[in-house]
Amino acid sequence: MPEILTAPLTVSFPFTRSLGPVQSAFLTGLRERTVLGVRTTDGRILVPPAEYDPVTAEELRDLAEVAPTGTVTTWAWNPAPRDNQPLRTPFAWVLVRLDGADTALLHVLDAPGPHAVRTGMRVRIRWAPERTGAITDIGCFEPYEGEEHGGPAAPHDGAFDDPVTGIVTPARLDYTYTPGRALSRHLAALAEHRITGERCPSCRKVHVPPRGVCPTCGVPTTEQTEVGPHGTVTTFCVVNIKARSADIDVPYVYAHIALDGADLALHARIGGIPYDEVRMGMRVAPVWTGDARHPDHFRPTGEPDADYDTYKELL
Amino acid sequence: MTPRDVAVVAFARSDHHGGADGASEPELLLPVLHDALSQAGLAPGEADFTCSGSSDYLAGRPFSFTLTLDSVGAWPPVAESHVETDGAWALYEAWVKILTGRADTALVYAHGKPTTGDLADVLTRQLDPYYLAPLWPDPYALAALQARALIDAGHLDEPPPAEAHAVLPLRAADFPAPVDGAAAVVLAAGDTARRMCDRPAWIRGIDHRIEPQAPGLRDLTDSPSTRLAAERAGAFRAPVDTAELHAPCTAQEVVLRRALRLDRTVTVNPSGGALAADPVMTTGLVRLGEAAARIHRGASGRALAHATSGPCLQHNLVAVLEGEDR
Repeated sequence: MPEILTAPLTVSFPFTRSLGPVQSAFLTGLRERTVLGVRTTDGRILVPPAEYDPVTAEELRDLAEVAPTGTVTTWAWNPAPRDNQPLRTPFAWVLVRLDGADTALLHVLDAPGPHAVRTGMRVRIRWAPERTGAITDIGCFEPYEGEEHGGPAAPHDGAFDDPVTGIVTPARLDYTYTPGRALSRHLAALAEHRITGERCPSCRKVHVPPRGVCPTCGVPTTEQTEVGPHGTVTTFCVVNIKARSADIDVPYVYAHIALDGADLALHARIGGIPYDEVRMGMRVAPVWTGDARHPDHFRPTGEPDADYDTYKELL
Repeated sequence: MTPRDVAVVAFARSDHHGGADGASEPELLLPVLHDALSQAGLAPGEADFTCSGSSDYLAGRPFSFTLTLDSVGAWPPVAESHVETDGAWALYEAWVKILTGRADTALVYAHGKPTTGDLADVLTRQLDPYYLAPLWPDPYALAALQARALIDAGHLDEPPPAEAHAVLPLRAADFPAPVDGAAAVVLAAGDTARRMCDRPAWIRGIDHRIEPQAPGLRDLTDSPSTRLAAERAGAFRAPVDTAELHAPCTAQEVVLRRALRLDRTVTVNPSGGALAADPVMTTGLVRLGEAAARIHRGASGRALAHATSGPCLQHNLVAVLEGEDR
């Protein structure tokens, strides 16, 4: 059995979100080194602020400024920071209740070791040198020797010049993708210029490309069989819009092709013939170029066109 | 209209020891689906309703669940649905579907291949995108914040200082190693269930509740959402003899035992629980399946099953299952 294929797969995306009025004021405030909370219907100050009351779901708009100093309510020591996390050296994750707030904010604390961290310790914000209006404008917290600031949070109108209206959080996730056992077998054969399908033990249909299971019967397919290499164009379309990543001139033809011996049409590009001469029933064969692991396209064989009745079930 | 009686009549799960061994999701699922369907005497595609749970973020590709439909014999078309979370919530949807009389039988399945990616990174993407996700707090960090809160409140012992720690106060052994896996359950109503199974596990109630997104808004030492779900599911109306808890961290089992008022008379996690194997997106459905299988075997008369989703037990589902003595 050929080995299972794997390939690195990276998913990266700029996660773009618009902000509500409360979130906008909070994140713009961070840019200006001002921490805002929001007052709930029962008079508590939420930091970070929510757009809606977590208990009553009422809209919240009543902003108030809290202090940049606070108290750790719980913590965890992270001995091995990961790439995207706020600090490069080992740090503590902390929930911090800022002076004037009734709830705690999640962030990180720069400390020399777990011995230097405890619940109830006093901390203050260390601002990031460059701030854009994001939770990371708080670079981290640092230990702070000072009493809790007394007094209630001061009302704030939340108005700043040039308010932040959205955030973009870049994200990247890395995977090792495998197509599975059946497709690995199929792809290994393709690299040897053979096209293989797998036959359903129940309905006897040959599926190309195989996925290890018959989608009609829901049973495993295990019997491999070679199909093609010649086949018949069952249907096609003319592509007039160039895909950004494709190195192919438009217009070109993309077709469904029923390989001889297969009970499912696969799809591929048709080359070696002007696009406006491709037709249903045209006989084609795969073309491997260079040392490619799979066919680049299919070309006409010159055989007489297939009769409609021979492929109508595969349309 | 009197509510219909609905039962779990079959359960199967993949070997819970490790990787998918090169199998694609459909290949991983196929033997599990066949096991569950044959227990119930159903052919592929024969169940009135099919519902699955999984996550594209684990697979690293969009609409990844559609490929698994090859495994259920979905042609000619079947009535089908999917939830982008643990399969326990797929079971909930299927249960509602049968209760409303729109189906008599349902196939529920779940699959997850967390070893495909880096689970610690992947699970940060389920967090609040404004205040949490940009900091990339992984699930181990969040669980450790919860554990510290439990220690401070006197519900958990301080760990011995010399041991190797993952995220202090928790050790690596406090978390399960993520494994790839799949599970399937068959639900059936009334006499159909009695025909399919000698001792059906009747679902007496299911409810699920969620807590605020911000960890700072929650009391991390408690799980009011679990308690409320249990109340609504009828868990406190009579004692249970078995509880299958979905706690992907030792400290979270402490929270759940308190929220569910489980005393020493209750056998907790006879299957080994989520700590023995955590096939992410499948683990909760496995709890429901294991509780039902214990009833099928006659080892339990009344069991509670719990599933969770999100950081620090944010979203919780509780089901109550009973056997019937004839």
